[in-house]
Amino acid sequence: MEIFDNGLAVVVEPQPWNPGLSFTLLVPAGAVNDPPDRLGAASMLETWLWKGAGPRDARAFADALDALGVRRQSGAGVEYTTFSASLLPEGFSAVLELYADLVRRPQLPEAAFASVKALALQELAALEDQPPRKLLGRLRREAFASPHGQPVEGEREALERMTAAALREEFSRRYGPRGAVLAVAGDVEPGEVFRIARKHLGSWEGATAEPVEPRLSEPHRFHIEQDTEQVQIGLFYRDVPPGDYDFYAARLAAAVLSGGMSSRLFTEVREKRGLVYAVSASPGSVKGLGYLIAYAGTMPERARETLEVLAAEIARLREGVAREELDRAKVGLRADLVLAGESSQARAAALARDVFVLGRPRSLEEVEAEVMDVTLERINAFLSRHPYENPWIGTLGPEGVGA
Amino acid sequence: MSVLQFKETTLPNGLRVIAEINPEAKSVAMGYFVRTGSRDELVGEEGLSHFLEHMVFKGTERRTAWDVNREFDEMGAKYNAFTNEEMTVFYGAVLPEFAPRLLDLFTDMMHPALREEDFETERKVILEEIALYQDRPNFVLYERAQAAYFGRHPLAKPVLGTPESIAAMRREQMVNYHARRYVPGNMMLAFAGNLDWEEMLTLVERLTTDWPRGQAPRNHPPFEPQPKALREFFDRASQVYTAFMAPGVSARSEERYAARVLAEVLGDPDNGRLFWRLTDTGLAETATAFHHEFEELGVYFVYTQCDPEREEEVAAAVREELTQLERGGVSEEELERAKLKTATSLVFAGETSLSRLFYLGVNFVYTGRYEPLDAVRRWVMHLETYHLAELLERRPFGRALEFRLVPGHDET
Repeated sequence: MEIFDNGLAVVVEPQPWNPGLSFTLLVPAGAVNDPPDRLGAASMLETWLWKGAGPRDARAFADALDALGVRRQSGAGVEYTTFSASLLPEGFSAVLELYADLVRRPQLPEAAFASVKALALQELAALEDQPPRKLLGRLRREAFASPHGQPVEGEREALERMTAAALREEFSRRYGPRGAVLAVAGDVEPGEVFRIARKHLGSWEGATAEPVEPRLSEPHRFHIEQDTEQVQIGLFYRDVPPGDYDFYAARLAAAVLSGGMSSRLFTEVREKRGLVYAVSASPGSVKGLGYLIAYAGTMPERARETLEVLAAEIARLREGVAREELDRAKVGLRADLVLAGESSQARAAALARDVFVLGRPRSLEEVEAEVMDVTLERINAFLSRHPYENPWIGTLGPEGVGA
Repeated sequence: MSVLQFKETTLPNGLRVIAEINPEAKSVAMGYFVRTGSRDELVGEEGLSHFLEHMVFKGTERRTAWDVNREFDEMGAKYNAFTNEEMTVFYGAVLPEFAPRLLDLFTDMMHPALREEDFETERKVILEEIALYQDRPNFVLYERAQAAYFGRHPLAKPVLGTPESIAAMRREQMVNYHARRYVPGNMMLAFAGNLDWEEMLTLVERLTTDWPRGQAPRNHPPFEPQPKALREFFDRASQVYTAFMAPGVSARSEERYAARVLAEVLGDPDNGRLFWRLTDTGLAETATAFHHEFEELGVYFVYTQCDPEREEEVAAAVREELTQLERGGVSEEELERAKLKTATSLVFAGETSLSRLFYLGVNFVYTGRYEPLDAVRRWVMHLETYHLAELLERRPFGRALEFRLVPGHDET
């Protein structure tokens, strides 16, 4: 990894066997640093950036990327916005030059602003047709006391009031190199990557938002009334943050809970009782804070039992896990690592996130060693010291779910 | 990439086995591809293929449901299954050292015990799965549009079945369906990645010697699409969802790569004609197109999602784009861009053993041929505008079904 003078971190993982190359450019502009009266700004901005950059208008820009055969993905999230590309290695410099234009010299044309706003409003409205996403977004919002719960898609009023001038202001306030990360994986030579990155991004200037400390609210319950077939159930638990000594013990505990089809939640909620099609517990984190979100969807008459079994299974972690469960969790995580290591896209995204959250990249070997290092005694000591209980509980459906 | 080796054989019992071997891969993927799906279901069997896919994981004579789940996880396998109109596929990827064990497990699973108790529990899970999709308007659109487009053709049947068909399903129906469809002549075992071919072959031969032989026929009734426009209400939708379906080419046709590139010109999410017409202008949040291939026919599918007040404007714009494409064809520049992007996708489809397995397996089930990704890439790069013009001369979009799903209740 190299950190340029302007603050941009560049990290490379060579994959000599891979015919392709992927990179992720991460800019620390997300919902967390959207001002309260400009909720949704980071997401709108991301859409607007593609409407022309450097000397090219939107169409010329898209054509230039297509001429290089680039497959692209981008999107704003809670803490940052990512711009990713998959391409053949020989096109790297040309593509990075275009992406540098995107984040350094976007045209942000007035003419496109109305359609950017219309799309943002539609995306928000379409959330009504996606009950699981709607519930989980609200769950984050209820659980975080800090702006980490702010909705990425924004709020209707804020979107309607947004002006081109306000969004340009948000761009100059948040699109800079400090805290940004470029991660590259594929058949590349690190020295060459650093040289090309320096050429296109070494003189990048601009401000970035100050980091925000995550804080949680007091655990509580809420219900969203909506006419759906299934009741959506979400539980939010506080967990250990990335970088913590217990981080891998917590990851393994989550795998015991919801790793494979022999995991506890799948076995108890679906296999034994047939209560659901989908049930899961997924660890998540923001910089400085970890959490675990459990989810299930079931028909109203079985919602209460589903919620009870779900919460009881998670609380039961406190009693510890069995050796066979830990072994299966370890094998599963190891296999995940090897399979993730095959894909340049997966590695570029993971490296960028590592550098953002931890300040350094983790190699697959390091993660594997950390996972293998968690003994039965260590994970069980962690679980008795850190019980998963007292969650925030959210439900969405035709009627409330009794306790 | 030059190290790839292809192997193919048919066992005495009729089971086809194929492998694309890459000694440098870090994992191995394998899967049973059963040529059966919703189109093969008889009256009263709606949803049975998919229900059986679930029951395959519920144990065998030798294994309980718990054993199956536990063994997969002991290998750290990444595995799953899917069912569509024409295929049921069970697949997984592991580190190479676990290959024999994974093969033993999958092979045993192909003859599930179908225990009554498990059948009843799983019936509830399937009903939940159907309910889950009923909360997703884009899925409801797809199911209803497909039913309307195919009419009395077997491809009209819903893969998941209906709450009524699943509630009425009996175990004996599943036993009969399994005996009829899961026969070696109707199945294929495929491998991709780092594996020992001789070892795998010896093992699978031993494990399948007493499989009852047999072939499973499939009906291909004639189909002629009828142009029509339908508009249905769905009270759980807040947006308008629109599908256009038009006749394309089959999964066995040489022209399918040209058809995919044509769909890309129209519906590429970043630079397709529909993107510039509808999304860039803020009219529709989503406007995309793809080409979907079945055994004897194919379908161009155009999908849009927009605000209710834009319904007519968006539909009119799509119709205009389709007409213009059909009359004016594709320019050299558009074709070059779409070709390059398709070619890059093919490179990335080759990154992992699991994605290679899907590519290899699905293609082989349809064509009976091995088409290495590198070769496919060369074919795509050799496409010329006249290849696309030939497709458009058949005027597919003049015969399109237009189906809209809109918020609200039926007045009737």
